[in-house]
Amino acid sequence: MSRLTTVTRLRVTELARQPLTLVMLLALPPIVIEMYGVAVKSFPQLPTLGADPATVGRMTGTLFAVAFLAGLVGLFQVISARRGDERAAIAGFPRWELLATRLLTMVIIAVAGATVALAALSYNVDVATATLAFGFLVLAALVYGLIGVIVGTVVPQELEGSIVLVFMADIDNALSSGLFPIDASTTIPLVGDVAVTDFVPLYHPRELFVTAVLDGGVASGHLLPALGWVFGLLTIAFVAYGHTAGNGWFTSNGGSA
Amino acid sequence: MTRVGAALRSGATELRRTPLLLALLVFAPAYVIYVFTLVAPGGTAVVHLGGEVVRTPLAEAFPAFTTPMTAALLSGITGLFLMHSSALADSRLVVAGYRAHQVVLARLGLLLGVAAVATAVSVGVMLTAFSPDHLGWFVLGTGLTALVYGMVGVLAGVLLARITGVYLILFGSMIDLFIFQNPLATDAPAAARFLPGHYPLRVAMEAGFTGTVETASVGWTLLYLGVLTAITIGAFYREMRVT
Repeated sequence: MSRLTTVTRLRVTELARQPLTLVMLLALPPIVIEMYGVAVKSFPQLPTLGADPATVGRMTGTLFAVAFLAGLVGLFQVISARRGDERAAIAGFPRWELLATRLLTMVIIAVAGATVALAALSYNVDVATATLAFGFLVLAALVYGLIGVIVGTVVPQELEGSIVLVFMADIDNALSSGLFPIDASTTIPLVGDVAVTDFVPLYHPRELFVTAVLDGGVASGHLLPALGWVFGLLTIAFVAYGHTAGNGWFTSNGGSA
Repeated sequence: MTRVGAALRSGATELRRTPLLLALLVFAPAYVIYVFTLVAPGGTAVVHLGGEVVRTPLAEAFPAFTTPMTAALLSGITGLFLMHSSALADSRLVVAGYRAHQVVLARLGLLLGVAAVATAVSVGVMLTAFSPDHLGWFVLGTGLTALVYGMVGVLAGVLLARITGVYLILFGSMIDLFIFQNPLATDAPAAARFLPGHYPLRVAMEAGFTGTVETASVGWTLLYLGVLTAITIGAFYREMRVT
């Protein structure tokens, strides 16, 4: 357990030593949130928005600012430390511990980012239930953080991995932002008709977050799918990382792939 | 000029050797535009272009305004990593006698290639769902949007860490192109016209929905691109002196 703590502390210190990373954590989310607010204000009062456009913009900006930050941290954590992980595995670390430290670091960054972003949102928007809103913000960050880890594991090059993550985020932002009425569905054998938005990672966390901010409750029908995304992605992350680990997954045998 | 050509050729060779990147250059825009076309809701979009208002089906408006955005995003990210991945080699080129502007111009040449591929693929996929009123101007508008964002990416690559750069390119292009310059928006703030996507996207949207383009927008875009290139050369020169 102490090894896990030591390596996690090392990863967080590594990140904290880069001043630009700290600036990004503290300064960029509030700027993104405010820009979203100003930008969406220029849209007409679309029926899909359901609230004042500026408020919708700020809420959407908060969610995406935190989620994509976690996604990028997850991606770069896995890619940039690949060689370091090889060495740590040779030094006796089982691969699952290395992945766990990556995930823990990503969660710490997600919590820090969510705290700053929610504070920035609260400056202009009355948040009905701050604890719920914070929880759903961290949930959204977990979803994208895990996506970042998976992309970084499967596509271990910075440029290519970034392109994949950014394009996913781009589609996600457009489809789950609530700006446009997306009502398309598709039929899956044995399951039946499924809404396209169910395939968009941030759709359910966004619904939960918006409801917590505006009404203070939990949006019915969205909590289970959102948790399903987290556990599904967590499983995929472990399987993908385990696949690259070969037989060094549970044992400290030198980490040969 | 031969020095720029040599640096450009070596950069292009490096790009050619990364098949995954080449596949993504083609697949990513095609996938995004296809998805946007697939999920576009029914109904009519009211498109605001300067003083003119055009009504068009949302199913046509969606692919039209996601095409330049997709090309820009791809160029921006590639521009960012062009500078990062080649930073060591570039600094050696400078030690070997290259001038800062020659290195940046070689990167700009590579960007032209990336922007051309991103534009061709994006417009090609878009044509399955939407035919712009004037295809030539639309391609030019999309290409210029990609080029401007590519240069923003190169500048970010010189000045910022990779993770910060990707974050800025992602949100910068999303907020600028998808929200501020979105032709469905009615009352964009005056400051939005100073953002990188304003003039080139205007060329693309006017070409797409009215067929007549204000040529001044092309001029303003080229000026913007020139200023960005000059700033990037300055930043690169300063970076080389510091290191």
